[in-house]
Amino acid sequence: MSTLECKGIVKKFGSNEVLHGIDLTLEQGKIYGLIGRNGAGKTTLLSIASGQNPATKGEITVDNLKVWDNQDALDKICFSRELNITAGNQGVGGLKVKDYLKAAQTYFPNYDKALEARLIKEFELDVKKRLSKLSKGMLSMVTIIVALASRAPYTFFDEPVAGLDVVARETFYKIALEEFAESGRTFVISTHIIEEAADIFEEVLFLDTGQIILKENTQELVERVVHVSGKEEDVDAICEGRKVYHVEKIGRSKAATVMLEPGEELKNTPDVTVQPMNLQQIFVAMCGKEA
Amino acid sequence: MNEILSKEKSIYIQISEMIENDILRDILLEEEKVPSTNDLAKIYTINPATAAKGVNILVDSGVLYKKRGIGMFVSSGAKKLIMKRRKAEFYENYVRAIVEEAKNLGMTKEDLIKMIEEAE
Repeated sequence: MSTLECKGIVKKFGSNEVLHGIDLTLEQGKIYGLIGRNGAGKTTLLSIASGQNPATKGEITVDNLKVWDNQDALDKICFSRELNITAGNQGVGGLKVKDYLKAAQTYFPNYDKALEARLIKEFELDVKKRLSKLSKGMLSMVTIIVALASRAPYTFFDEPVAGLDVVARETFYKIALEEFAESGRTFVISTHIIEEAADIFEEVLFLDTGQIILKENTQELVERVVHVSGKEEDVDAICEGRKVYHVEKIGRSKAATVMLEPGEELKNTPDVTVQPMNLQQIFVAMCGKEA
Repeated sequence: MNEILSKEKSIYIQISEMIENDILRDILLEEEKVPSTNDLAKIYTINPATAAKGVNILVDSGVLYKKRGIGMFVSSGAKKLIMKRRKAEFYENYVRAIVEEAKNLGMTKEDLIKMIEEAE
């Protein structure tokens, strides 16, 4: 099976180490959600994994081909970066959307013009406009169009829905799923809008301060992590010997986020309330600040 | 297949329950093809693997069966099967809980039966 592998990826900017030895295997035909706080290193990781930036240490391979400076490997990967256009028409900002798309397609051997045309229509994007005249949401549409139309086996989306209205976000999820079903490509999608995208991720990756702290099947994770609350000693008894995150205490009452063993079930008792948690709540419990 | 997904339960369980509801309501008939996992994924904006998990629950319980290369079909007798299993679940999840709570409240068996009759 085709895989993309990151081995021991370290990235330093000067003396500032932002990725601390990341090991990660992405399998073909899966949709991964990459979730992390601002500054966690998501964009850095994706740009290194796609060969756009060098790693300080470590190696990326796709189907055992080194990615760095290797066109055969690079042809299999698309990383559609967030477009940050500065005011005025300097640089990329001065390009019309259609010229930007024309330039982008030269990087991808499988680029699909028909899919591009369909997406332009679905998003009602005016391709004659200059990038500098587009809103944040419209710039996101441009990056989505490049990513989907690239037809690259490994495609990374960097906050594709940032600035998109709710209807356009829904359009993106549907078309991405459709393309995924047809092609069996691998998608990595980073996002801060966790809950609405949770159901399309087969697996989630939590990136916290330069480390992957979790890689799990989304549905299984949501089933395994519960919120337990009650009198302190009763909650402590349940926490004993289990992985526990984010403990809160109010008077005699205590609450904790608890990871159960696969298949294990914890029922409500008269003493302790056990509640399911959604992906966003789990992320906050694992990567948020301790109270 | 027109219900909406809630956050209360696992998505794949909701998918299997929705298909079951459609069978009970004669929206999906026995020996009829059910939507593919890719169709379900698109309708509900969920991962196809999750949709497949929901469908596979029904295959394992005999409600659906697979025709190789064609898709999933509703088994004959599926309706009866679903009813039977739901009755068993009703007993486990509701009836036992009701009896338990009635005991906690100090109610007699007669009190409980009277209450049920009133509710009708």
